[in-house]
Amino acid sequence: MSKRKEETPDLLKDQSWVLSSLEHDQLAKAKKHFIPRRRLKGRELVVLWGLRVYLIFMMAVVVYQVWVASR
Amino acid sequence: MKPIAVQSEESVVITHEDIDRAHDRVRVFAARSQRGFSSRARLLWLLVGPGVLVMLGENDGPSMLSYAATGAKYGIGFFLPFVVLTFCMACVVQEMTVRVGAATHRGHAELIFERFGPFWGWFSLIDLGIGNFLTLITEFIAIRAGMGFFGVPAWLAILIALTIVYAALITHRYWTWERITLAAAAFNLVFVPVALMTHPDWRAVGHALFFWQPRPELSGETVLIMLADIGATVTPWMLFFQQSATVDKGLTTRDIQFGRIDTVLGAALASIAALATILATAPLAAHKMSAENFQAAQFAQALEPLIGRVGASLFALGIVEAGIVAAITISTSSAYAFGEVAHKPHSLNLPMREGKSFYAVLTLCALAAAVVVLIPGLPLVYVVLLVNVVAVLAMPPALVFLYMLVNDKEIMGDLVSPLWANVLSTAVVIALTAAGVLFGISVIAPNVFSVLGGK
Repeated sequence: MSKRKEETPDLLKDQSWVLSSLEHDQLAKAKKHFIPRRRLKGRELVVLWGLRVYLIFMMAVVVYQVWVASR
Repeated sequence: MKPIAVQSEESVVITHEDIDRAHDRVRVFAARSQRGFSSRARLLWLLVGPGVLVMLGENDGPSMLSYAATGAKYGIGFFLPFVVLTFCMACVVQEMTVRVGAATHRGHAELIFERFGPFWGWFSLIDLGIGNFLTLITEFIAIRAGMGFFGVPAWLAILIALTIVYAALITHRYWTWERITLAAAAFNLVFVPVALMTHPDWRAVGHALFFWQPRPELSGETVLIMLADIGATVTPWMLFFQQSATVDKGLTTRDIQFGRIDTVLGAALASIAALATILATAPLAAHKMSAENFQAAQFAQALEPLIGRVGASLFALGIVEAGIVAAITISTSSAYAFGEVAHKPHSLNLPMREGKSFYAVLTLCALAAAVVVLIPGLPLVYVVLLVNVVAVLAMPPALVFLYMLVNDKEIMGDLVSPLWANVLSTAVVIALTAAGVLFGISVIAPNVFSVLGGK
């Protein structure tokens, strides 16, 4: 118990200089708070889906090229 | 060590990670509070890191082999300014990650998951995971091939590389890890003396840089090399890594200007190394040597009659270094992304006991890729070139998420991109998508190029 009492002032001192050196959002604990979700607009969804289809198609092209090269 | 729980009026929990980061910030405050050139230089020294690391990290095994193949195939010409242009594209893209990281103090994967939801978050993470794993495999291919030049057996080369990757972590301190990796990354410039040993024709270099000539004929192979060179400078892992490293280093909005300098400095150093590699292998094109199926060790062997044993050894060592630094940064980017998404502690400031999952993911990624490389009969150079192509193809979807984040006023406030930055980043997305489409055409309908007057 006495040891605990001795440690406390140091830790509090630690806390003050750490808190003054970091922005609140930089603390590891702060990162546990979620950032609110954003609703995607129609145009954004079109772009995201378009690029997703593009990527899947192009990956198929890559696989095809590997298949052709391996023959 | 468990988090140091200190209960106060605000009930704040301070962890080991916070204390380490605060130490770094105190040094930054001290340097910033002083005036004069030396204190500005010290501030720059304290704040550079993520940008230089990401750019030199992307000058990785497959990238250097792509540049070597470019030089050996096309010599001094169109591809010199083309590579400089790709680094300009990388600067535009990476600057956005600095701003998002400094403004939100959140990693890239974390922000995509939280802002756009797990549906898009998983897509993004799967792209990153597949890309990182394939790239890591090629890093170990490069390390194996480079050390093979010195007669080191494959298993020993892989073991040495894994030991170095692990050794960089044991300090459990972001700052120390960053400085060790930066020192290793500086070795990327070893390609400069190798290039000088080939006595390049500087008039031809100047002509190529200013006039983009001689231009290669448009063919499937040229498109593949173009994509490989683009993929050698802009890839999805770079977005995730630099944003997470900016957060882990503790950069704030006041440091953004230095983050930009860091990024441009990294791009400048990396482009010098890239151009040097093209110049180093350009004599192979002039001597009509074929670059087909060249591997790292074979490039070095082919150069040996031209630049001697020392030059060839430096080339092989450069390939090894490129692979090792990238293996460190890419496995770290995977570990950051995993920690951010799983809401597990994710920092290089974590002691082993607090960051078990972070270090486990990092080590397992490197280990799994290393084991794959030991499988005999892999088509090495083809795999290496295709990995860069895959990176280019995966880049537009990743960039659109970054574009949306950096223009999100709710999280960025006044740091949203200005119009000119949006125009540039949109141009990069369009250019990358167009390059991907061109690649698709070259595979599906290769005859189109002959119709257009190419080969």
